[in-house]
Amino acid sequence: MNAKTSKLRDLALSVVSILCLISLWLVLSSSRPDFFPTPQMTWERFIELIEYPVSKVSILGHIWASLRRVVIAFCYAVVLGISLGIAMGWNKKIRAAVEPIFESLRPIPPIAWIPLVILWFGVGEFPKILLVFIGSFIPIVLNTMTGVALVDPMYLSVSRVFKANTLQTMIHVVLPASIPAIFAGMKASLSSGWMVVVAAEMIASKSGVGFLITRGSESYDVALILCGMILIGIVGALLGVVLTLLERWLCPWTTKKEK
Amino acid sequence: MDNKERKVMLRLENIAKSFYARHEVFDAVSDVSIDVYENEFLTILGPGQCGKSVLLNIIAGLEKPTKGTVDFPASSDTTMGFVFQKTAVFPWKTVMENVELGLQIKGTNKKERREKAQYLIELVGLKGFENAYPYQLSGGMKQRVGIARAYCVNPDILLMDEPFGALDAQTRYQMEEEVLRIWQAEKRTVIFVTNNIEEALFLGDRIVLLSACPAKVKEIYIPRLERPRNNIDPDFLALREEIEANTDLAL
Amino acid sequence: MANEKPSSAVHNAAAVSESIRIENQNRAREKRQLFLISLTSVVICLLIWEIAVRTALINPKYLSAPSQVFQSFITKFYDPKPDGAILPVHFISSLYLALVGYFAAVIIGIPLGLVMGYSKVFYKLINPVFEIVRPIPPIAWIPLSVIWLGIGTTAKGFIIFLAAFVPCVINAYTGVHQTNPTLINVAKTCGANDWQIFTTVCIPSALPLTFTGLRVALGNSWSTLVAAELLSAKAGLGYMIQQGRSLVRPDIIIVGMLSIGITGALLSACLSRVEKKFVKGRNAR
Repeated sequence: MNAKTSKLRDLALSVVSILCLISLWLVLSSSRPDFFPTPQMTWERFIELIEYPVSKVSILGHIWASLRRVVIAFCYAVVLGISLGIAMGWNKKIRAAVEPIFESLRPIPPIAWIPLVILWFGVGEFPKILLVFIGSFIPIVLNTMTGVALVDPMYLSVSRVFKANTLQTMIHVVLPASIPAIFAGMKASLSSGWMVVVAAEMIASKSGVGFLITRGSESYDVALILCGMILIGIVGALLGVVLTLLERWLCPWTTKKEK
Repeated sequence: MDNKERKVMLRLENIAKSFYARHEVFDAVSDVSIDVYENEFLTILGPGQCGKSVLLNIIAGLEKPTKGTVDFPASSDTTMGFVFQKTAVFPWKTVMENVELGLQIKGTNKKERREKAQYLIELVGLKGFENAYPYQLSGGMKQRVGIARAYCVNPDILLMDEPFGALDAQTRYQMEEEVLRIWQAEKRTVIFVTNNIEEALFLGDRIVLLSACPAKVKEIYIPRLERPRNNIDPDFLALREEIEANTDLAL
Repeated sequence: MANEKPSSAVHNAAAVSESIRIENQNRAREKRQLFLISLTSVVICLLIWEIAVRTALINPKYLSAPSQVFQSFITKFYDPKPDGAILPVHFISSLYLALVGYFAAVIIGIPLGLVMGYSKVFYKLINPVFEIVRPIPPIAWIPLSVIWLGIGTTAKGFIIFLAAFVPCVINAYTGVHQTNPTLINVAKTCGANDWQIFTTVCIPSALPLTFTGLRVALGNSWSTLVAAELLSAKAGLGYMIQQGRSLVRPDIIIVGMLSIGITGALLSACLSRVEKKFVKGRNAR
C-alpha cells in the first residue's frame, strides 16, 4: 500500500470512527431524550446559550471568568515556580531546606485543598485563583528543578572556561538549556490548573464553565451539561495548543531535529 | 629549532590525577611533565578513553590535579580558549551569539565584539551563517563555530579536545586542513588532543605520545616534515609506523 | 627529547586507602549537613505553625495547630463524631472505590492501548473518539454520570474509571509506537510472526512507558475520587473534609487532607515496587 492509499485509508477510518460515535449518540438519545439529549437538541441549546445569558452572565462571560482565573494563577505560578525550581535545582542546600515541605504537600491532590481554602477565604475570586495556583505551582517547580539539574555539564564547562559568574551562567546556559523541561512543566501545570478551576467552579461559584455544568445539573437541563462539557474540552485543548505555539515561537531551536 | 630560546607558555610538572569512587580509586594521569612553547601546535596523542581529556581539563582549570603544578611562566594572566569534544555549541544561540559569548561575558561593548566575531566567523569560513542556529548546521560547521568562539576571547593558549572525533572521515580531513589554515592566519599556542595517529602527525609541530591509563609521557616526537604534510609521503608513513609500534592498546 | 622523569611509585596501598577514606568521610559529612538542613527546616515550619495558632496570630477557627491535628487524628480512629464515621471506615470506602475504578481501567485500557500501538488500523479507528473525550476533565463528567447512573458508587466508579483509562491507553500505545524498529527487524529475520513480534518485542519495550501510564492513572484515580466525594458522597475521605468545612472543624479537614496525601503516596510507593520487579535490567535515566 503506497503512501497515498495509506493516507486515504487513515482518513476513511477516522471518518468511520466519528460516524460510529455520532450514531451511537443518536441511538442512545432517541431512546431516552430526557437522559440524553440528541445532537440536535444539544446544538439548539448551544445556540440558546450564545443568545441568552445563564445566571445573568453571557456564555463569553462565563468562559472569560474561568480563563481569567486560570491565567492569573498560572502567571504567578510560572514566575514563582520557575524561580524556586531554578534555586532548588542549582543549590543543594536550598533544595534540602525546601524539598521535605514540598514532598509532604505534593501527594495531596489540589482538589483536596478546596474545603480548606473555602473555609479561609469564602467563595470569591481569590480562593479560586489560589486553588488554581496550588494546582499549577507544583508541576512547574518539579519540572524546572529536574531541567536545571540535568543541564549537560559540558555547557557548564563552557561557561566556566569563559569565567562567567553565576548570573551570567544562569542567563546564557542554565535557563535556555532547561526550557524544554520548563515548558513540559507548564503544560502539565496548565492542564492541572484547568481541571482545578472547573472543580472549584462546580463546587462553589456563580460564574464560569464549571458553574454551567452545575446549573444544568440543578435544573435538570442535560443539554446545558453537555454544552458545558464540550466547552470545557474545547477551551482546555486550546490552552494546550496556545502553549505549544508559544514554545515554538520563543524557542525555534527546540522542536527541530538535528541534521 | 632551539627550544631553549623559545618562550614557555605553559609548564606542567609531575601532574597526577586520581578519581575516587566509593570503594576504589581510578588513576587517570600518573606523572606528566610537559613544556609548551609559544605559538607551537602541540598534539597530545593517546589511546582510548583516558587521561588526555583530563589533562586538558586540568590545564584549563576545570579540574584540580591531585599532584603536581600547572604554571604559566609567560604571563600571570593567561587567557585560554577551549574547543570541546562533542559539539558544545549552544543550540539556543545563533552562530553570531555563540561566537561573541566570551566577549559578552567579559563585558566588551556590542559594537566591538560583533566586529571581532564577524571577523572570526569569516575566517572559519562561515560567512553568511551569522544568524543560523546550530541545528541548521552540519557537524563540521558546528565545530567551526566552536573554534571561532574559542578564538574570540583572544586566548594565549587554545585547547582542543578531540574536536573532530564525532565527524565522518571526509569532513575530518577537511577540518584538519581548515584548523591549520586558521592557525596559520591567527597564530596561537595550540594544544590539540587526539587519539588518531594520522591526525596528530598531520597537525603537530610536536607530538606527545601518552601511555594508556594511568597516563605518562612515553615519548615526544618532532616530525621534521614540511607543511602541508602529505599523508602518503614515505617519511610521513615511516614516522607513523614508528609511533604506532610504540602506542599502547586500550581495551 | 623526552621530558620524561623516571616514574616513582606514585601510590602505595596505604596511601590509596587513606585517600579513599578521606573522600568517603567528606561525602558522608556533606550528606549529614544536608539532612540537618532538611530536618531543621521541617521543625521550624512546624514550630511556626504551632505558635501562630496558639497565640491566636491565626484565628483558630481557620487553622488548627499541628498538635491539635495530631490529637484529632488519633481521636478519629475510634470516634465517629462529628462527621459520622471513624477514619478507617472513610479510608476503606475511598480506597475501595478508587481501586475498583483503577483496576477496571487498567484491565481494559492497557491491552487496548497495546493493540492500538501495534495495529495502525485499530489506532486510526479508535483514536478520534479518544481525542474528543480526552480534553474533558473527569470531574466534568460527574453530573452527567449521576443523571445516568444515579447517586451512588457506580457513578463515582465510572468517573474514576474514565480518569484512569485515558493515561493507561495513551501511554500503552505510545510505548509500543516507540519500539526500536531495529529490534523488530531482528525478530523478523528470526522468522517471528506478527503475534510473536508483538509479545516478545513490542510489549516488553513498551513496559517503562506503560508503567508511567499506570502511575499517572493511579494519581488521577485518587484525585478524581477525592473530587467526586467532595461533590456527592456519604462516606469517604473526600466526604470527611467536606464535612469538616461545614462544621468549621479545620482539624478534621487537615486530618482528611493528610490522610489523602499519605494514602496517595503509599499507593505510589507500592506501584514503584511492582515496577521494579517487572522492569528489570533497565538503566534508570
